[in-house]
Amino acid sequence: MRIDRRRLVVLGAAGAAGALQPRLLRASAAPKRAPGSAGDDLPAREASWYKKLEEGRVECELCPQKCTVADMERGMCGVRENRGGTYFTLVHGRACAVHVDPIEKKPFFHVMPGEKALSYSTAGCNVECKFCQNWEISQFRPEQVQAYDLPPKALVATAKRTGARLTAATYGEPVVFWEYVRDAAAAANAAGLKPTVVSNGFIQEKALREVAPSLAAIKIDLKSFREEFYEEQVRGTLEPVLKTLQVIRELGVWLEIVVLLIPTLNDSVEEVRDLSQWVRKTLGPDVPVHFTRFHPTYRLTDLPPTPVTTLERSWKIGREAGLNFVYLGNVPSHPGENTTCPGCGEILIRRVGFRVIANNLVNGACPECSRQIPGVWE
Amino acid sequence: MRRLTRRELALMLGAGAIAGTTRAEGSGPVALPGVVGMAEAKAKLGRPLSREQADRVIAGAMAAAVGAGSGVEAAASIFTPGDTVGIKVNCLAGRSLSPRVELVEALVDLLAGAGVDRRKIIVFERTSRELERAGFTIRRQGPPYRCVGTDNDYDRLPSSSGAIGSCFARIVSTECTALVSFGVVKDHDLSGVSAGMKNWYGVIHNPNKYHQNGCDPFIADVARHPFIRDKLRLTVLDGVVAQCHGGPAYRPGATFELGLVSASTDPVAADLWAWQVIEAERRRRGMPTLEEAGRPVRFLATAAHHGLGVDHPDRLRLVTA
Ligand code: SF4
Repeated sequence: MRIDRRRLVVLGAAGAAGALQPRLLRASAAPKRAPGSAGDDLPAREASWYKKLEEGRVECELCPQKCTVADMERGMCGVRENRGGTYFTLVHGRACAVHVDPIEKKPFFHVMPGEKALSYSTAGCNVECKFCQNWEISQFRPEQVQAYDLPPKALVATAKRTGARLTAATYGEPVVFWEYVRDAAAAANAAGLKPTVVSNGFIQEKALREVAPSLAAIKIDLKSFREEFYEEQVRGTLEPVLKTLQVIRELGVWLEIVVLLIPTLNDSVEEVRDLSQWVRKTLGPDVPVHFTRFHPTYRLTDLPPTPVTTLERSWKIGREAGLNFVYLGNVPSHPGENTTCPGCGEILIRRVGFRVIANNLVNGACPECSRQIPGVWE
Repeated sequence: MRRLTRRELALMLGAGAIAGTTRAEGSGPVALPGVVGMAEAKAKLGRPLSREQADRVIAGAMAAAVGAGSGVEAAASIFTPGDTVGIKVNCLAGRSLSPRVELVEALVDLLAGAGVDRRKIIVFERTSRELERAGFTIRRQGPPYRCVGTDNDYDRLPSSSGAIGSCFARIVSTECTALVSFGVVKDHDLSGVSAGMKNWYGVIHNPNKYHQNGCDPFIADVARHPFIRDKLRLTVLDGVVAQCHGGPAYRPGATFELGLVSASTDPVAADLWAWQVIEAERRRRGMPTLEEAGRPVRFLATAAHHGLGVDHPDRLRLVTA
């Protein structure tokens, strides 16, 4: 979901008594701290997933980019830096965007409907989608955005103060602040909150396995079902993302998938069918798939928004492939936003945009036919 | 390779023997493909040159680069009095391996001598902090020249060039009409060489995105963006002390006293020379070539392919002061 700079709000550091402060991101707009190109005036913490190489180099083992980084240089995400042969994350506990959102905005449609999620992000991303909706966070380095100290415990305290029952690492790319995600999840679980993550799924398996079990739910952006798309539009690869989806299912963590359909690039009948059939076959029919509408942004400004007819066609393809829960996104008031019982067709959760209008589930089951609906309902 | 003298270059220019030369008298800045001027400057690591020495070296390299009679004459053939000149220095490696302040100031004086308004000469780097660490004094308005970090003052929106999409520093996109890359001669762990062209990574907001595949085609893509391609007039390389391994950070055991400063209107040729110098030192030390070390210098061929300059050793002409 796009972070609008004008609407972006930061809930200050823990001690800021919850005062909501309007925030601009880029230092050119309102610099608060002197930038340091080498990052050595940024707070740093040793990274958890890397190995040391010869001559002071390191290899990052967090995501499939596998950056080899020389002394004083950073990995592709821009938030991890080699200082004298030790690798550091520069964004642990350094949130540049914090906001209370409805959980539907992530979007999670099978996770505690109508509840609020304290959503947070740092700078940086491990890929470069030409259509990134949050590029003003994700495509910048930590010293280029205004950030606040919000260590895990303070983050959880802020969530409780605002009435949020969930946390969500989102907006930018949580993989690049995975240590922060891990520690915030531990703090959230200890406080009885449900930690969630919204990610591109471009992560190495070991790091995923070490953190995912502590999460209540994960949403993965499956950006396409074609390697060429990942190469040309994302600067990543598809195969590790598919692996991530399988590992999440294997671990039993609640999973939802979002597919942003971009006219002419990833919206063909064949591709949507291939994707839907793969999900059905490999992950099962109960994984919700959200087909969402593209709007021109960042480096893809020469394409039109996705026609609603394309979304509806994709919805149909998903259902025909045997998926029980197919949704449409960024099309407020469309019936494709509702959750319907795959057993009897009863509308279970009625939504308009990110608002839940009616939730008819009874203990996670259909009130008509009693079919159990998968999800994290409490 | 035998080095030409400035006089020999002038004769060649007169005979039209440098292919692709632009600017006959008065028709725009001089551009001499493949020509790299150089002057000797001996100093130990960390020791400054005297100001007199710096003036002589910069004037000599500049004059040699364009076959001019003096440094001021050379500057006047490359820049106009109406220009706003941005001099991008590469200070990543700190005081030990950044362009020497006295050399940069000698260039500033030459430009001023050629009629460029000192208030329109901007020495800049990514951040003020890096400049200070390299020994520069921040001077937001001058005098005697401006010296500032871009400090995240980027264009609001990205623009694309080949594979890159970046917000450019406004100094480059908006303020300056002419640019100088003032780098050092050093090895780079990913691109193989960091001299004049890699220096332009310091004017985009997201250089970390473009380190794959030996920074190729990304270095060339940054350099062929109109903000740079249309404004870049000169590349100066401080090779008083160079580094043949372990870059881009300063690596004491890998530095060597090369004792040369180069100047060129051809950014590709300038880096080709730097590459040759680094390879020669590696050979002398019994080290593998950059290619054997797993970081072949690919970006020069790509840059030449895009018409940014000359990457073939046969067309490189080294001219001494
Ligand atoms: S997390 Fe960042 S540094 Fe690590 S491999 Fe991925 S892009 Fe590179």
